Amino acid sequence: MTTRTGVSVPHTEYFPQPKPPRLAWRWASIVADDRSQLTRFWPVIQNMVSQELRVRYQRSVLGFFWTLLNPILMMTTMSLVFSQVFGVDNKLYAVYLFAGMVPWGFLSNSVTESAFCIIASEGLIRKIYLPKLIFPLTKLLINLTTFILSMAALFVLLIPLGAKLSFSLLLLPVAVLLLAIFTLGLGLIVATMNTFYRDCGHLVAVFLQAWYFATPIMYELSRLPERVQWRLWLNPVFPFIRLFQVIIYDGRFPDLTTFLAAAGVALVSLGVGYAAFKCHEDKLVFRL
Amino acid sequence: MPRSSATRTSWSFDSKRVAQGEPLVELRDISLKFVSYFDKQYSLKRAALDLILRRSGPAPTSEFWALSNINLRIAKGERIGIVGSNGAGKSTLLRLLSRIYPPTSGSIRVRGSIAPLIEMGAGFNPELSGNENILLNGAMLGISKVEMQKKVDGIFEFTGLREFADLPLKYYSSGMYMRLAFAIATEIEPDILLIDESLGTGDAAFVDKAKARITGLLDRSNVVVIVSHDMTALRELCERGLWMHKGRIIADGPIDQIVDDYLTQSFSLASA
Repeated sequence: MTTRTGVSVPHTEYFPQPKPPRLAWRWASIVADDRSQLTRFWPVIQNMVSQELRVRYQRSVLGFFWTLLNPILMMTTMSLVFSQVFGVDNKLYAVYLFAGMVPWGFLSNSVTESAFCIIASEGLIRKIYLPKLIFPLTKLLINLTTFILSMAALFVLLIPLGAKLSFSLLLLPVAVLLLAIFTLGLGLIVATMNTFYRDCGHLVAVFLQAWYFATPIMYELSRLPERVQWRLWLNPVFPFIRLFQVIIYDGRFPDLTTFLAAAGVALVSLGVGYAAFKCHEDKLVFRL
Repeated sequence: MPRSSATRTSWSFDSKRVAQGEPLVELRDISLKFVSYFDKQYSLKRAALDLILRRSGPAPTSEFWALSNINLRIAKGERIGIVGSNGAGKSTLLRLLSRIYPPTSGSIRVRGSIAPLIEMGAGFNPELSGNENILLNGAMLGISKVEMQKKVDGIFEFTGLREFADLPLKYYSSGMYMRLAFAIATEIEPDILLIDESLGTGDAAFVDKAKARITGLLDRSNVVVIVSHDMTALRELCERGLWMHKGRIIADGPIDQIVDDYLTQSFSLASA
């Protein structure tokens, strides 16, 4: 040991080791790593998506039609109930219902399936290394595929009922993309939570049900009292559903605010979901 | 309370950059802790109660060091046999090497592609046919579809399962399953092949073929790590032996010596 006199150099020894100074840099490298991993494992994702789609519809006579049948029956029932019982005299009500319900179905199915995707893939995760991000992503892509297909098919079916083709439909892909980003974020959060706390999966189902009624999907926004309407903007899924309703039902271009709101919510959701998932990714295998 | 998290784990799959003489696998002070909880699942109710009552986190009943202070360097072309009693951490070490478990502390460095044969049929989808499973498994091991399609022939050649190529895997016998898994893992010529007790389940003819194939891999200077209780097979295939006991490597040396020591030790323990 040497003792130093005079102006001493400040003693710089950290214990424990200091964290890398810039959080942003660490996350940048994590994202870059994930990008290369996902490109490497992209064929696995493709394969899992196509296999699961095939297995779902294999051996059932109606196949993909089942995916359509559910919303069709739902829409028929709802239209009847609302027009007969509540006296909604809107011929386009079926179209309105369709515009909100199909995107909502995508969101709710993806989130519910994501909740259990890590647990269900236990066999794979404990036997072979795969980036865990694959599992929620696969669930999203499966649902996204059925969503887009059923959207197209149902739209064609609804043309006789008054669904109109307009230029605003060109914006539909953007709306779908934003909704998919939002859903992926939610899926990541739920997948992480449910692996640690198994109760979450059940809570999610209840929560989604409540959320469905809190969102103007069955009822029309304009039927609510004026002073209540603004509250709907507190509902994070509202801008997304609104986008679809304006594009499909109103047949006009949505205003920029709705777009920006949706994009903002989508990015926040993905950011939070991704961070939560990455922070716990390594521990997932010990909790299976 | 520190939980398991990977610290300084670096992986790269580009084997060409490995300089001559540099180790393919390098483990430094690796430890891995398993924590088991009272009720296995830490429920939301417990978490909420813990939060309200200001208890700290889940109360672990037992902490168990599955691996402690493992230091290991594996150079190109080494074939390593790991011996040890049940629960010594042999399979855990293989899982760590294949990146399934992250270490609690320490650093791992692996250069090159890894094919784990830890549990039979990892990544197989029983609904798919043999042919499709070959492609899927290849993708999981990092081989592109085009490349894998070139290898399909070789795999069916080796396993003799060509007539079952279009049969869903759920109708395969366990022996057929095993043969397919082994053939895929070896056909892709990984830099590092990890085998856990898998040579036992084939018929005699297949075991011989498998051994020949492992030796063939070794001639191309790939690393093979085998965990087995079959001492004769280990002596035949490996040159370096590791003896693990309670999560530590207690001996490292030529396979014959390690196996001899291990057998005398366990025999004296059994008779004592």
